[in-house]
Amino acid sequence: MASREVEVAELPQRSEPPSGPLSDIARRLVDPFRTVSPPESRPATGFFTDTTVCIGCKACEVACKEWNLLPADGLHWSGNSYDNTGALSATSWRHVKFIEQLGEPTPAASVAAPKTPLTSSPAFSLQRLLHEPKDGRWLMMSDVCKHCVAAPCQQACPTGALIHNEFENVFIQPDICNGCSSCVSACPFGVVTRSSLDGHSHKCTLCYDRQRDGLVPACAKACPTQSIQFGPIDELRERARARVHELHRRGVTEAYLYGDVPTASYSELNSFYLLVDRPAVYGLPDDPVNPWLSMKGDYVRAIGSGLAAIAALLAALWLGGI
Amino acid sequence: MPGLGTSLGFGAASNHPRDLVNSDCILIMGSNMAESHPVGFHWPVVAQERGAVVIHVDPRYTRTSAVADVFVKIRAGTDLAFLGGVIRYILEGERYFREYVVHYTNAPTFIAAEDQRAGDAELAARCGPATADGVSDPWVYDREVEPDGRRGQPRIDPTLTDPKCVLQILKRHYAAYTPEAVARVCGCRPEDVVKVAELLCRNSGRDRTSAIAYALGWTQHSTGAQIIRAAGIIQLLLGNVGRPGGGVLALRGHACIQGATDIPVLFDTLPAYLPQPRAVPGHATLAQYLANGKSYLSRRGEAPDGLWKGDALRGGWADMPKFTVSLLKAWYGEAATPENDYGYGWLPKLDEDLSEMSYFMKMHRGHIRGTFLMGQNPAVGGPNARLHRDAMRRLDWLVVRDFFETESASYWYADPDGVDPKTVPTEIFFLPAASVIEKSGSFTNTERMLQWHDQAVPPPGDCRSDAWFVYDLGRRLKALYRDSTDPRDAPIRHLAWDYGSDSTAAAQEIDTEKVLREINGYHVSERRQLRGPGELASDGSTACGCWLYCGVFPDAQSNLARAKDHRIDGDSIYGGWAWAWPANRRILYNRASADPDGRPWSQRKKLVWWDGEAKRWTGHDAPDFERDKAPDYRPPVDARGLAAIAGNAPFSMHQDGRGWLYAPYGLKDGPLPVFYEPLESPFINSLGPHQSDPLAVVLVDPMNPIAAPGDPAYPLIATTYRLTEHYLSGAMSRFDSWLCELQPEMFVEISPELARERGVANGDWVVVSSPRGEIEARALVTGRLKPVVVDGRPAHTVGLPIHWGYAGESVGAGVNTLSLLCLDPNADIHSAKSFVCQLRAGRLGNGRPPEPLPVFSRPVVQDPIPDTPGAAQPLGRFGHGQ
Amino acid sequence: MRTGDGRAAHAVSTPLPGGYAGRAITHAPAWGGLVAWDLLFNGISTGLFLVAAICEIAAPRVFASAAGVAYAVALGFLVVDLAALVFDLGDPLRFHHMLRVVKPGSPMSVGTWCLTLYSLPLTVAAAIGVLPGEWTSLDAVRHIAIIVGLPFALGSAVYKGVLLSTSAQPGWKDARWLGGYLTSSAIALGCAGMLFLSLMMGEERATAALRLALGILVTVTLIPLGLLVADVRPALAQAYRARELSGLAAACLGGGTLLPLYLLVAGKTTSVLVVGALCVALAGLAIRFAIVRLPHASA
Repeated sequence: MASREVEVAELPQRSEPPSGPLSDIARRLVDPFRTVSPPESRPATGFFTDTTVCIGCKACEVACKEWNLLPADGLHWSGNSYDNTGALSATSWRHVKFIEQLGEPTPAASVAAPKTPLTSSPAFSLQRLLHEPKDGRWLMMSDVCKHCVAAPCQQACPTGALIHNEFENVFIQPDICNGCSSCVSACPFGVVTRSSLDGHSHKCTLCYDRQRDGLVPACAKACPTQSIQFGPIDELRERARARVHELHRRGVTEAYLYGDVPTASYSELNSFYLLVDRPAVYGLPDDPVNPWLSMKGDYVRAIGSGLAAIAALLAALWLGGI
Repeated sequence: MPGLGTSLGFGAASNHPRDLVNSDCILIMGSNMAESHPVGFHWPVVAQERGAVVIHVDPRYTRTSAVADVFVKIRAGTDLAFLGGVIRYILEGERYFREYVVHYTNAPTFIAAEDQRAGDAELAARCGPATADGVSDPWVYDREVEPDGRRGQPRIDPTLTDPKCVLQILKRHYAAYTPEAVARVCGCRPEDVVKVAELLCRNSGRDRTSAIAYALGWTQHSTGAQIIRAAGIIQLLLGNVGRPGGGVLALRGHACIQGATDIPVLFDTLPAYLPQPRAVPGHATLAQYLANGKSYLSRRGEAPDGLWKGDALRGGWADMPKFTVSLLKAWYGEAATPENDYGYGWLPKLDEDLSEMSYFMKMHRGHIRGTFLMGQNPAVGGPNARLHRDAMRRLDWLVVRDFFETESASYWYADPDGVDPKTVPTEIFFLPAASVIEKSGSFTNTERMLQWHDQAVPPPGDCRSDAWFVYDLGRRLKALYRDSTDPRDAPIRHLAWDYGSDSTAAAQEIDTEKVLREINGYHVSERRQLRGPGELASDGSTACGCWLYCGVFPDAQSNLARAKDHRIDGDSIYGGWAWAWPANRRILYNRASADPDGRPWSQRKKLVWWDGEAKRWTGHDAPDFERDKAPDYRPPVDARGLAAIAGNAPFSMHQDGRGWLYAPYGLKDGPLPVFYEPLESPFINSLGPHQSDPLAVVLVDPMNPIAAPGDPAYPLIATTYRLTEHYLSGAMSRFDSWLCELQPEMFVEISPELARERGVANGDWVVVSSPRGEIEARALVTGRLKPVVVDGRPAHTVGLPIHWGYAGESVGAGVNTLSLLCLDPNADIHSAKSFVCQLRAGRLGNGRPPEPLPVFSRPVVQDPIPDTPGAAQPLGRFGHGQ
Repeated sequence: MRTGDGRAAHAVSTPLPGGYAGRAITHAPAWGGLVAWDLLFNGISTGLFLVAAICEIAAPRVFASAAGVAYAVALGFLVVDLAALVFDLGDPLRFHHMLRVVKPGSPMSVGTWCLTLYSLPLTVAAAIGVLPGEWTSLDAVRHIAIIVGLPFALGSAVYKGVLLSTSAQPGWKDARWLGGYLTSSAIALGCAGMLFLSLMMGEERATAALRLALGILVTVTLIPLGLLVADVRPALAQAYRARELSGLAAACLGGGTLLPLYLLVAGKTTSVLVVGALCVALAGLAIRFAIVRLPHASA
């Protein structure tokens, strides 16, 4: 994955803000309302994560934490396979999930059953033997913010902190967020949370800072098997479709893409996945619903109920002879 | 290492990880490549995308198995039985690559006097051919007898049908390894043996190649070297060695372990695998040492002459005089003269086994007064760790160099056995070490490649590199002994030792490129760098610290370990990136990628070939052959060195130029691999009369009891392994919060079946015990450790990750409390991959988990990042915008 | 079960072949118990204002004095409510960032602006209402203020429910009638508050009218409440045990509807009526707690 690596020293330096309590207050009051002309739009980028080549190494989790200087979340052994991260959060922007599908435990009685004899049996077929499917699966998947094209978190945000940046990625401007948690409530994938360290919401930035410098996001760079692929979203979708086609050809017919196209209730995801089992198995909503689909109706019902109650009040007053 | 060395010539990986993209089939066995070599595992994944079949054979279903196309589960410690089954399949079906085998291996060679022990095939295989009175025959090969009585060339049968030829011996030897017999031992299905063997066979030959990748899952057994021999046999039979996408990949377990054995920290070799001289008559003088040749010490029996002596005459090792004298000149400089045997007398002569475990046993018995531990953590990393810690308590002084106060620096007060610090007489010095980015130097990785790295930041505070320390130590010792007349001090006094600047610059790091220049070697009189090992001489006119590395620094300004040319030839050869030994050849034995006439076996698999017009070898890789030796060259009878190797013999480090299916010498426990049960096993060997390797060494001590085979008190198989998230004993990973939170606690993995039997639920505390001790940990109940059925009963396995100890941010039980001190006969490696244990629900002692030791280190998260402009501060971090 | 900042509680789970199926996917926002009080106080404030304003406009002579006090009380509740909202923010010092944008698509933004634009006329009306003496000229100002404030008060009452139902949280996301219930309930609460004030101030005609009104409103609110329960029944069943649910039903229907109805209809003394009004308020609070805890409890 080639990248233009720009010398850090060549980047424009931002001057340090003046200090002092009065100017501090003034800055806090005024700065959030300053607007700048938005940067020039760039081709939309995103992630394509091919879970069939994920080896669960968690290099993505570590690279993300290293680059973004995120604090560790504490030592909590989960007992859930090798997933000790648990969930995405304000301090964990990548989360590798593990799903063990290795069949039921053998009933005690049959553990000691004798071996069936081999190849002299007329039913034996070398071809069938060579092509028999592998017994058992251990699915691994690196979860991350989906960077939805129509993002409920961005729609919910009342401060304008959440935006789609020039790369069409969903980005929380960290100097604006005031921790109201509307985004937390709105995300159907359970991505963003509010941190108890600084009271703001944080999530994957798709390494906005690295992208602006022509670099590849830290997780994609670190992924040793290129399970996490980064690039222009159109290219990624093409590549992903070709990969699914190839997997089907090889007999992995359960492979499919999640989030590459919009559904009736949700937009496309700019961070989409190749999966081999139902989304729920991976902790993804089978059929995500954008909450905004019902907002208008909810307002109508609420206002209607209010007006009906007011009408009932007036009726009561009239009945009471007022 | 000895396994590959005897089969092929060098004890190192023949191919490199990137070359796996050229493989049509990859067998990963004795390795959990995805977890232990995640970056290298990119290449098997690419190979899969190109249509290769990836097979993983292992006692556990791991992250490698998850991505592999084929997974076969076998009982830990039965790898050799499985490989034997594969060998039998190849031989019975005549699936070997006939032309390759006939010309490039010793398959057609006759073995003498083999039938003397024919009654006991296992004994014959173990001890080799016998003379009439039962003593091992040192001449091994059956030779023509010249009219004047001299022994001539070995007899061969190109049709491979004579009962005395190696191939037929091999066939008889592995006849017992039927799929059913193997399945009975390994616990897999008989079909699994057929499947794996068939996949390898179909993907080998002129047009296709298969690779075998292994790691410590093979080496850490009492029969480790023989398991690797078996892989060597398979790859030679299938004609995969020296070919793109083929070979045997030894996936070494540390970033620079290859370098650590090339420029060795091993007690029994000198740089470049020259044998460390012994205190025996055969090594009394330099002349005798050289005349006896490289394989003197690995011969079987005590005869003063034999086939093994041919190494000093024919093949690549015949130049041992040049290697040795140049090494001595490098070390002793002006003081090394022809009159004093170039200082040969100053080399220490070994009179006992001083491998790690034996060394610590000596320490345990009070024979060692002081020790330097540099980046080594035996207090939890050594097998039978309690014995190691007990040994360390007998020392008068101990110097520990590391980044953090590891278990080996804190054992005197933090030992989980609760030893009273007042009873520990050892004086311990802890010296902080510089990390890799704080010093310059090179790594030699698993593909024999030297890569240079520069110092990125100076080491903080008093941290110093190990190179600085050792150099300074040497200077001080030299100063101390300057006026000594004791002959014992002469070796130190006479060391050349000129790597640094003068005394005023004591605090500065040494110039590591000076060291590499010396390792490369130079002409002594003009102080001009050598361009390659061809320039080495045995008359003292050259100096060279390691002949294998000769060529990395061909002139004073060109450190080829720094080379950064990205171009790739033949899909996997990047000859312009860094430098690989020997002579920047990336795939060893690559002469074998062409047929006896020098033409590639196929266009699809061409690597090097003979250019008839230019009269030299050419191709994608640097040829591992004399460049202008024609394929039709046949050596005269009295030829010496490389000139004694024919133009159609790719394995030039062997005196016959052939790969060895049958190892006439080199391994103490026999010329052919034989399956034995591990030293500790719940099962009786059903494949042979001997339970375990008779030559494996058990170190006898009350603290090192061994369970008898089938001991009902320890019915479970214990196996140890790595997790991706941590590293070795945790000295480099359990002090890092980001890594600790990925695997925050020690745990043991057990199957649901065993959990049900013992009444253990997922997450419960369990106690795992072995004859050496007991540990407690949480149980991770997982179907990945489902037991296989052996001899009609389940072979339950308890999985033990190795990374924990009592020092660091995350602490937990160290599994080496359970492991045993025993050595394999060839490489002195312990058996970490298969021993026995028992498991019960519950906790030890007071039921409180160990407290992490306080760690004094700067917090990683700094805001803002120092010396970085505002525009480059990471956007997402906390505190931004306040 | 997840805390607001996403860390899993320290419990050990067993790996299952169904993987993560059946586990909660979403994170619950860290809006704790304070939010239930916020819902209540917001409802009381806006409801009280709306009822007082409507009553004053419909029959100024009967309700004017009670209404004047009501505005001040509503303002008091509003101030407490706004303070709670501000301190519930992760970074209270940045509360003014809410005023950076006007986003009709964001219920939280709608709520911010509605509350802001409701608070201003309410302050004017409340200030005028507690001024001593007769300032008839200011009456006109007050009238304009309450008319201006009416839509924003309604908006402030409406947005809360829509905010919760326009989310991905289990329970809330299916609660199509949550906004309807909370708005209707707010008006009922406002009526209860107005009744309480009338009782305290001894306004008999107002009290009589409001008793009837409250009885009707409490009954009418049952409709959106019933529809809401139908919406969230599966989530309720998952989040609460059957006993808790029947207890809640008893509290709402019994204590929150039947009892007050009885007390309102049959009650003779002031204290009985006050108790009736309080029952309505308490039931409202209980229901709000149940709603707020829904995503946390079903995690």
